[in-house]
Amino acid sequence: MKRFIILTIAFTMVFLSILLFYEPKSPIHTASRYEAMFAPRTLYWGVQGQDVRIVQDKLLRWGFYDGEVDGVYGPRTYRAVRKFQAKHGLQVDGVVGPATARALGMPEAVAAAANTGINRQTDEYLLARCVHGEARGEPYVGKVAVAAVVLNRVKHPSFPNTIAGVIYQPLAFTAVADGQINLTPNKDSIKAARDALNGWDPTYGCLYYWNPATATSKWIWSRKVMLKIGKHWFGI
Amino acid sequence: MRERRHLIAPSIFALLFIGALVWGYNQNQIKKQHEVALENHYQRLFFDVKKHIENIQVNLNKALVANSRERNILLLSQIANEAISAHDKLGQMPLTHAETASTEKFLNQAADYSTYLIQRHLQGEDLTDEQRQALSNLQNNSAKFNAELTNIQNNLAEGNFFLGSLSASQLNRIKDADKNILQTSLVQLDEQIAKTPELIYDGPFADQMINRKPVGLPNNDVSLEDARKAAVDFLGNINIRDIEPFEEGENINEARIPAYTFNLYPENQRRNTPIYMGISKKGGKVIWMNNPRPVANTKISIKNAEERAMKYLQEKGFENMEPNYSLKYDGTILFNFVNTENDVTIYPDLIKVKVALDTGEIVGFDASAYYLNHHDRTIESPHIDEAEARSKVRQDFNIDSTRLAIIPKGKSEVLCYEFKGKYNDNDFIVYINALDGSEEQILQLIKNENGTLTF
Repeated sequence: MKRFIILTIAFTMVFLSILLFYEPKSPIHTASRYEAMFAPRTLYWGVQGQDVRIVQDKLLRWGFYDGEVDGVYGPRTYRAVRKFQAKHGLQVDGVVGPATARALGMPEAVAAAANTGINRQTDEYLLARCVHGEARGEPYVGKVAVAAVVLNRVKHPSFPNTIAGVIYQPLAFTAVADGQINLTPNKDSIKAARDALNGWDPTYGCLYYWNPATATSKWIWSRKVMLKIGKHWFGI
Repeated sequence: MRERRHLIAPSIFALLFIGALVWGYNQNQIKKQHEVALENHYQRLFFDVKKHIENIQVNLNKALVANSRERNILLLSQIANEAISAHDKLGQMPLTHAETASTEKFLNQAADYSTYLIQRHLQGEDLTDEQRQALSNLQNNSAKFNAELTNIQNNLAEGNFFLGSLSASQLNRIKDADKNILQTSLVQLDEQIAKTPELIYDGPFADQMINRKPVGLPNNDVSLEDARKAAVDFLGNINIRDIEPFEEGENINEARIPAYTFNLYPENQRRNTPIYMGISKKGGKVIWMNNPRPVANTKISIKNAEERAMKYLQEKGFENMEPNYSLKYDGTILFNFVNTENDVTIYPDLIKVKVALDTGEIVGFDASAYYLNHHDRTIESPHIDEAEARSKVRQDFNIDSTRLAIIPKGKSEVLCYEFKGKYNDNDFIVYINALDGSEEQILQLIKNENGTLTF
């Protein structure tokens, strides 16, 4: 009986100490993803280049990849990277960030040498994350439209003048406030971000959008309404 | 023994309870630390904004007094700097856009307007009476702003209010906006600033640039039926199963380019990837088209794709278009075509064509820039010859090619000599004004295997 009591107390203590000293894992994951954001070059679905070729070559030799070594990060490369990440206990997101690059044995200098440092990729990826968080369930044109609204805001005097400034402006996007922006963007979101950066604007210059089912602000309804794309109304 | 046994349950519960208390206390401490950190950050932003606005106000006063262009240039560049910093920080404060829109605009345009005046000064012009009036309006606004911020600062000092109430549960409490001093006074300020007259000048954030309307579209109104027909015709031999217009709002005619937008469902494509197209309400022109179908195996060469894009534009009635830059992404290649007239390249008349590299089909078209800018131009003949223009470019700039081009400059356009070349192994384009020989623009080209980007 006495043993039972001691065991119960010991068990409770262990349980409580785990509870006390348990550190939630998610911030660490988020942090590593942010680290990836600032890396010289993060490889993800759709990018091309010599560094992609190196990744493909390595994955081919180790039997993860079965496609051509063509330097294009396509669906096969994506699946191969995921398989590789799963096997090596990395976060399985199909994106070659610093952690995956290190596990692949890629010297970071090679990744950096692929470009001059001036590029559009960080903006592209951030915009894609915003699109993914805000408009995952929307048709393709709705995703391009959300990205176009961000870019229209950058050019407008009443808003911050950088893509990050617009996206992270407090109270501007719900997906930023609730952390959905940190999800890994899918292929469609990246493509939509690219189309918007290359000039496609299905909103004809709109600065706002809202979902009539969830919009709580009365102010938003005083905007000039232009058109409806998917579930969102767009306006200025 | 029996007495001890009935203590087991209570003691376990007591332990659990104490554990829960400790855990809860820790969580509470962490929450407090986060709140303080956030509070400190917002306080810093607030005091910074206050300081920047003060400096703007003082410098505007000085600029109104100053008599020399040199002094004014220095003061105006300081104003621009302070205004940009204030704008940047205001955009980070936990206020909704509705509350700060006009204030942000005021700051952005103050910076932009100062830059514009600096340019005028550098060209040797003095302030006109209107410009002095505009500066004094800006000064009034910054004085109001500053007074309001001083009020808030006093309230902060009295301790009856702190920004943390905004931070902790931002989203919930922001809804009770009326209770918050910072918000109410800034909203009132915002309303006052919104009433000041528009600044008339030439810069990227000027109202005239924001409210630009297309000049390249015919003037006849087109019905939805005709637009529908134009959309189907534009796709040529693709069989369309179904076409449906997007729902329109009541203010669609105030859009930059008022247009009908359609989903077109081709017969051989899945229902969830229609082709999207916008047809202008004036003249029924195709403004943009996008076919987001997936591209599988790329086998078309870039040369071949370019020929197809060229042919496509000719079929659509765009003559004299010249391919410029290209960018490869997602199995497609995007070409920028610009108009040419009498061997002059006209950059504002830009059309983008996207070719899928599997079948060579055109999957994207964007002529919004073309219709915004295209008009009948009378192109002046250059006042200086090529050799004279060359002498305005650095001697050690390694020139590969030269031609005449029209480039946008604010609202207007200027005729320039375009010198493409290399300096220190970097690619640049230098534009020299063909009328007065001033150095109008320098672009850096970043090339990689996917294409070229300009910065």
